[in-house]
Amino acid sequence: MTEELKVAVERKPRGAVLYTKGYINNVGGEEIANRAYELMDDGVRTLLLNLRETKIVNSIGISILIEIIEKMMDKGGKIAFCCLTPVIHKTFQIMGLANYASIFDNEEAASKELGL
Amino acid sequence: MTTTAERQMELTLPMVPDIEIAAARAVGNLAREMGMSSEHVDEMMHAVIEACINAREHSGCADNRIYLRFLGTSQDDGSRIDIWVTDHGRGFDPEEARSRRTAPGTPHKRGRGLQLIELHMDEVDISTTLNGGTTIHMVKYEKKS
Repeated sequence: MTEELKVAVERKPRGAVLYTKGYINNVGGEEIANRAYELMDDGVRTLLLNLRETKIVNSIGISILIEIIEKMMDKGGKIAFCCLTPVIHKTFQIMGLANYASIFDNEEAASKELGL
Repeated sequence: MTTTAERQMELTLPMVPDIEIAAARAVGNLAREMGMSSEHVDEMMHAVIEACINAREHSGCADNRIYLRFLGTSQDDGSRIDIWVTDHGRGFDPEEARSRRTAPGTPHKRGRGLQLIELHMDEVDISTTLNGGTTIHMVKYEKKS
């Protein structure tokens, strides 16, 4: 049984948005990391992860998201999340993501605040 | 208080990648049938996922199986779901695992599965013995509004 995560990228004038669809586990987290690192290598320093179509994130997937945040912070950039389910939002707070990445209710608010 | 057993399900699942999703979907379906709120359903699904991942990644069991039991009961003032996740592995020391935690909100890359289970569920009890396997018993309540 496999649950493949789909990731779509939309470049914006001042950054990019990653849209995830499906389960963020170790494999899904690595897929997000690969896309995020490609964007960072391409000079993107503001990245928004829209998790509108992700309903479950496990602790291993979250550990990979933390690595992505750390890497972006090392480059002087920032990462934010939007459209989280209440349980994923709570999980992110427990795991410490909320300390280093902003969380927004919707993409419009995030884009405005991040200046995308 | 009147208590009625309404739903019961037992599953034996192989320890293969992503099998935790099958377990989570099963308990999610049972919880929805019991009329639980979507947020409580999501919390239970996340807890079951972490319990299954712990069993798969850390139990070291020879039979490569996870044994799950779900029991949904209705009471006068609401409903409850009991979940048991069992492996026949090497067991572990829950207090030692808890002692390695950092405070909630502190970024930490691994080892948060048990903490997430305890924060998502109303009651959590761990029975584990050295080389005798582990059972995590979790309970979620839904009070009538």
